[in-house]
Amino acid sequence: MKPSSEIKSIIKDSLFTGLISLALFGPIVGLKTSSKGQGLFVTPHVGIVSLLVLACIIGRFLIGLNSLRKKEISFVSNITSTISSYMDNKGKHVAITGVLFAIVFPFLPFTDRYVLDVSIMILTYIMLGWGLNIVVGLAGLLDLGYVAFYAVGAYSYALIATTFGWSFWICLPLAGVFAAFFGILLGFPVLRLRGDYLAIVTLGFGEIIRIILINWYEVTNGPDGITGIPRPSFFGLPFKKFPEEGEASFHTFFNLEYSTMHRIIFLYYLILILALITNYFTLKIRKLPVGRAWEALREDEIACKSLGVNPTNTKLTAFAIGATFGGFAGSFFATRQAFVSPESFTFIESAIIVAIVVLGGMGSQTGVVLASIFLIGITEIFRDLEQYRMIAFGGAMVLIMIFKPKGILANRKPTITLKDHLNE
Amino acid sequence: MEYFIQQLINGITLGSIYGLIAIGYTMVYGIIGMINFAHGDIFMIGAFIALIALILFGLTGIALPIVLFLVLLITMLFTACYGWSVEKLAYKPLRGSFRLAPLISALGMSIVLQNYVQVSQGARVKPLQPLITGGLEFFKDSEFIVTVSFLQIFIVILTIILMSMFTILITKTDLGRAQRACEQDRTMTSLLGINVDRTISITFILGSSLASVAGMMFVLYYGVIDFYIGFLAGVKAFTAAVLGGIGSLPGAMLGGLLIGLIETMWSGYISIEYKDVAAFSVLIITLIFFPTGFLGKPDIEKV
Amino acid sequence: MNKSLLKVDNLTMKFGGLTAIDNLSFSANNNEITSIIGPNGAGKTTVFNCLTGFYKPTDGEMLLSKDNETIALKKFTDFKIAQKAKVARTFQNIRLFPAMSVLENLLVAQHNELMIASGFSIFGILNLKRYKDKEREAVEKAKYWLDIIGLTNRADDNAGDLPYGDQRKLEIVRAMCIEPKLLCLDEPAAGLNPKESSELNKLLEFIKNDKKTGILLIEHDMSVVMGISDHVVVLNYGKKIFQGTPYETRKSKEVIEAYLGVDE
Repeated sequence: MKPSSEIKSIIKDSLFTGLISLALFGPIVGLKTSSKGQGLFVTPHVGIVSLLVLACIIGRFLIGLNSLRKKEISFVSNITSTISSYMDNKGKHVAITGVLFAIVFPFLPFTDRYVLDVSIMILTYIMLGWGLNIVVGLAGLLDLGYVAFYAVGAYSYALIATTFGWSFWICLPLAGVFAAFFGILLGFPVLRLRGDYLAIVTLGFGEIIRIILINWYEVTNGPDGITGIPRPSFFGLPFKKFPEEGEASFHTFFNLEYSTMHRIIFLYYLILILALITNYFTLKIRKLPVGRAWEALREDEIACKSLGVNPTNTKLTAFAIGATFGGFAGSFFATRQAFVSPESFTFIESAIIVAIVVLGGMGSQTGVVLASIFLIGITEIFRDLEQYRMIAFGGAMVLIMIFKPKGILANRKPTITLKDHLNE
Repeated sequence: MEYFIQQLINGITLGSIYGLIAIGYTMVYGIIGMINFAHGDIFMIGAFIALIALILFGLTGIALPIVLFLVLLITMLFTACYGWSVEKLAYKPLRGSFRLAPLISALGMSIVLQNYVQVSQGARVKPLQPLITGGLEFFKDSEFIVTVSFLQIFIVILTIILMSMFTILITKTDLGRAQRACEQDRTMTSLLGINVDRTISITFILGSSLASVAGMMFVLYYGVIDFYIGFLAGVKAFTAAVLGGIGSLPGAMLGGLLIGLIETMWSGYISIEYKDVAAFSVLIITLIFFPTGFLGKPDIEKV
Repeated sequence: MNKSLLKVDNLTMKFGGLTAIDNLSFSANNNEITSIIGPNGAGKTTVFNCLTGFYKPTDGEMLLSKDNETIALKKFTDFKIAQKAKVARTFQNIRLFPAMSVLENLLVAQHNELMIASGFSIFGILNLKRYKDKEREAVEKAKYWLDIIGLTNRADDNAGDLPYGDQRKLEIVRAMCIEPKLLCLDEPAAGLNPKESSELNKLLEFIKNDKKTGILLIEHDMSVVMGISDHVVVLNYGKKIFQGTPYETRKSKEVIEAYLGVDE
């Protein structure tokens, strides 16, 4: 039992918290403005404010009693460290099982069109997360404008495909090249900057790209976006119900009943392959000198310089590679939607991708997968609660930074070990 | 010429608003070396509180000057609570964490605040009828009549008053001294018996109060706000802080004026669609070529 | 016969109104340990920062003899000093890559060679034998140095988890992995206990004699300085006040005055 003086001070603290929370929630939550006819009116919401304030008081009281804090924190960190150590031992098995599951997923009994659509979306975010992980997780460069490369990829794909009518497999690498080019263009001057300045500059770059997309009517068609982007075909076989005269379609060629699912399944595999390529590439390059230099730069740039590592070039490769994958993902987005518009490339999109990387654990490939499934998948099911989901996003970012700054899965494995070397 | 003068006046008004927000960025950067990404959203919250207070007092029928004064006080008080809480919840536990941690946390806080306001106040824009109307007209004989509205005069004068009070506070009082000491060396300051935590808290309170005044001005000046205004205004004010020299208070005001002028001149003479591009380009160019700004101190890399 | 390795001529470094180094000239030889000593704030670390490209000196020359040619260090900026001129350094407050393994730390030091061998990552991605061989070679080199400092069994642990003394040694051998002509050590003995300190002496002797590398040493620990230096340069207020053998230094009136003050 705690001494009564301590209890007294806890109660004092709790009441103070209550007062502050009343000041916080009172006006914004408690006095909702709404327009009626000409002017604005204020509708009071006393109930919800009292609830919030009460929750704050009780919460603060429990934290003060020290019962909540310790238990909760140890509970959470127990879970994460269990997952982490499990992944350390069984990482390979989990990864293989995961990939196998992803491959058979479209044919599982509960997989309908909606589930598949959501999965495609999750996979797109996984790919974006993996791409950004190279920049943020490995090289330690906080890029708040990653969506710019996604946009460049999507728009260059859309423009090339609608203008020249080339196939997906030609447009995709071109879009990647364009995105990489933009990455280098931006990266070259800015990568000398300190970490936090870099974050703001990349954010500015992302916004500039978006504003240009909105206003450059001649090329981008402004806010209306580009429509009629060709759908991908299966090695030249389109997914059309009624193919043109003399042309084969996917279902006629394989003698199948026509179904819109074919295209969706094809798209699913397409993004799965793209994402796996990204992952393979990242895992591979991490073990190369350039990958190690990325991580070394993240750890200590001055030490890197003293060892003759060129920081600008090294960061630039990370930036360009990250941008390329962003561009690929953008191409996929364009071909899937058959439509692109500036709306899809707002700052919030960048923030979501950053959140995925940060929450998953910077540098952790599995972490990105878990974070994407969690953030995109679970919240997609509660679509109506969209705004609450963003509050949860932001709140999670703050909490992770406080309690687990390295992310949920952050056990780094060395890229090379002397043990393996000697066993060879 | 008349057109130029008009743009100049508009620019100064806008610059006052940006300058007041920029002070919050620059002070926080000076004292704990982080970019308080959520500061733009604090400004947005200030605008909402001002709006709510204006509506409430508007119903009472008190004389306008008194209403404005009361709204000003209320807005500052309530918004300061937000600034204080954000620091306590999201930044204080992160002191001593890795360099990007506070920035990521601030980004999270920014998302939280934006969506919190969206949830509780709705996503639609809030229009407010103009409260302060009328103005002075100049060059009546020419083709283009230059108008200085009373509202613009109000904004500029209020900014000047607040800035003067604020400068006295920072340069002449113990609090200001403690603050500057924290900027130099936090550990040493705490060894000298100064409550560093409290000093940092007060910095956030001051910064958010000034931002909330900017928010109130924004409501009155534009007459429309939504939950998203903090993002753009925040980036522009941050640009102002960098341009003036981050860490420098007069620099923040100067930077604010410059950004305000650049924006109005750009919209007036070049292209209104790309006015935000102007601000972002200034930000990027300043950070790359001119990171110490006009009045900032050079940042020597310690080996 | 010792050949001159480094010649510093009239080096001056000013920060605004402050002159941190004032017209400093000294030289250092191959296969020798040259110590730079002096009271705090004498400008020792600034000399290092000029030599290793972190600062651009206001005036003066720094000439390094390398493979029968003389190169002016001034022409190289930051990372190129290590890459091209082969001048390596350590830091007063250890700068390892703490979250990376000991072995990885040593591989990053061989970055430039490995980078070329990996065909700027293209051969590496394709897993070509040429790169694999080079990587094996690099690991062997790392293991060689780890054997010398006795950390082989900790090769796969994070560098940040090593005890302080081992971190110091690791930082030195990491610098050696770039195969430097000149090794600049900034207070390597700071914070070491007597046993670690004597191990450090042995390591430095080994580098000097077996690796034929010139060493420039900043040190406050006089037992280290007097024990292993061939040559001592004494600085005070950015100026050289004495240069000579350890024995001469110990006897020098100027040096004693600089450290202990003058009786008025």
